[in-house]
Amino acid sequence: MTLSAKAFQRWLQSIAPDASTADVCRVSGIKRTTLAQQLVRGKVSVSTVVSISRAYKINPVTALAGFDAYSVLSGPALPPTCGELVSQISTADLLRALLARTAMEPARGAAAPALGPAPHATSVKNWVDAIDDGELRHRVSASTGVAPQNYSAQLTANRLSAELAVATAIAAGVGPAGGLVATGIITEEEAGWPPGARQAALDSLSDGELTALAGERLQALGKVLRRQEQDQAQTEKIWENLG
Amino acid sequence: MIATLQWTTLAICAAIALARVPSTLRGENRSLFGIFASITVAILLSIQGPYLVIDRALGGINLANLLLRFVIFGAIFFMGIRISKGFDAKDAYRFITGRAGLTVLAVISAVMVTLFFMMDTSGSSAGLTGVVGTDPWNSALLEYYGAAGRAYPAYVALALLPAMARAVTSRLPGLIRAAAALLGLGAVATGLSLSFPLIPPTLGQIEFMINYTAILCFVLGLALIWVARVVSGRAAARRKTSTEM
Repeated sequence: MTLSAKAFQRWLQSIAPDASTADVCRVSGIKRTTLAQQLVRGKVSVSTVVSISRAYKINPVTALAGFDAYSVLSGPALPPTCGELVSQISTADLLRALLARTAMEPARGAAAPALGPAPHATSVKNWVDAIDDGELRHRVSASTGVAPQNYSAQLTANRLSAELAVATAIAAGVGPAGGLVATGIITEEEAGWPPGARQAALDSLSDGELTALAGERLQALGKVLRRQEQDQAQTEKIWENLG
Repeated sequence: MIATLQWTTLAICAAIALARVPSTLRGENRSLFGIFASITVAILLSIQGPYLVIDRALGGINLANLLLRFVIFGAIFFMGIRISKGFDAKDAYRFITGRAGLTVLAVISAVMVTLFFMMDTSGSSAGLTGVVGTDPWNSALLEYYGAAGRAYPAYVALALLPAMARAVTSRLPGLIRAAAALLGLGAVATGLSLSFPLIPPTLGQIEFMINYTAILCFVLGLALIWVARVVSGRAAARRKTSTEM
């Protein structure tokens, strides 16, 4: 959900009392026309607040928590679960970690390279899968009024609005900022995830757990790729006959 | 207004047919050129001026109108084949080229030719408007003749409609889904033409609108698929050169 222009102006006053809109845009790297349009429409996007917070060295989570719609972010910061942490490791990194395990190739045992930063290509879907107890989608749908198929469509596209990301975290009972990390709105560090937490969570997985997890990821990836190939073949056929 | 609609549609179809000439010479989907060219001829034959010229050359007994019906049948038959093959609509392909489809085509053609020669069709006029009102028998025949001419295109269009609806909601590229939506709209309009006997004569303009909506939707839909292919080809070529650099 977007934030009201009035609340945004009040917040901006509190962090940069003397700055003009032009100054704010310059330091935060937001296009002036974008911000002007958001203010005229009375709907300021979450990413605008995040960019401005970063420019003024304020934690974006704290800044967002000041707005009514995101006040849940001000609660006590729950540490991320192991599942959440691992969900934010890309499939390629997981596979590299697996190959470095001695269970795969006893002779090697070399250290896997450092993890790439979150988010990754399927981070949103993996995050929801990691915290889903089977009823999560229903609860989110009931609490936000978003139809389940729309919610699923966002996950498939590896997208989730900030509002839904927070609502999902609340419905799952995990730290409220986790979804914002998975969607790439904020960084792990800004969400208060300890440095190296993802690596530690990965190391804590047994060979069996890691192998099973990598298998699940590969299977999901295979499905997506096969579907893309089918769509491509169908498109080629249309062009062959009608192009 | 109707004249404007007719000439505009003619210009669009002729332009697309001409634009297809180079790719036809290269041997890409020659039947598409045939489809566009036939539709252009069909529109030409439904405009009074060109119709009179052609009909006079054919003896002035409105044979040009019968020719027009068969040009339309041919265009819709080949269009149905290309579309059902392209969109992998096996059911539609069977309905059009299977025994049922060919029987429908043969019966409708035979009925249409018989009715035509039973009518007193002297006096050239596009759409056979001159034949109406000569006597009740003739106008009844004309009504059935017109219905027969609309029946086959409607049959093919309705066979294609489910496949178009599926394509619109599929995960295919946006331009192709837009094209499928246009083709589907054309199919709906063609299907609606079956209801012409129910439209009172005072609202005759509606019939023209439905006919030309159908033609424009089919032609633009087919052209859009071609555009999608060209666009995608260019994008692929650009990707190739940018990775080579």
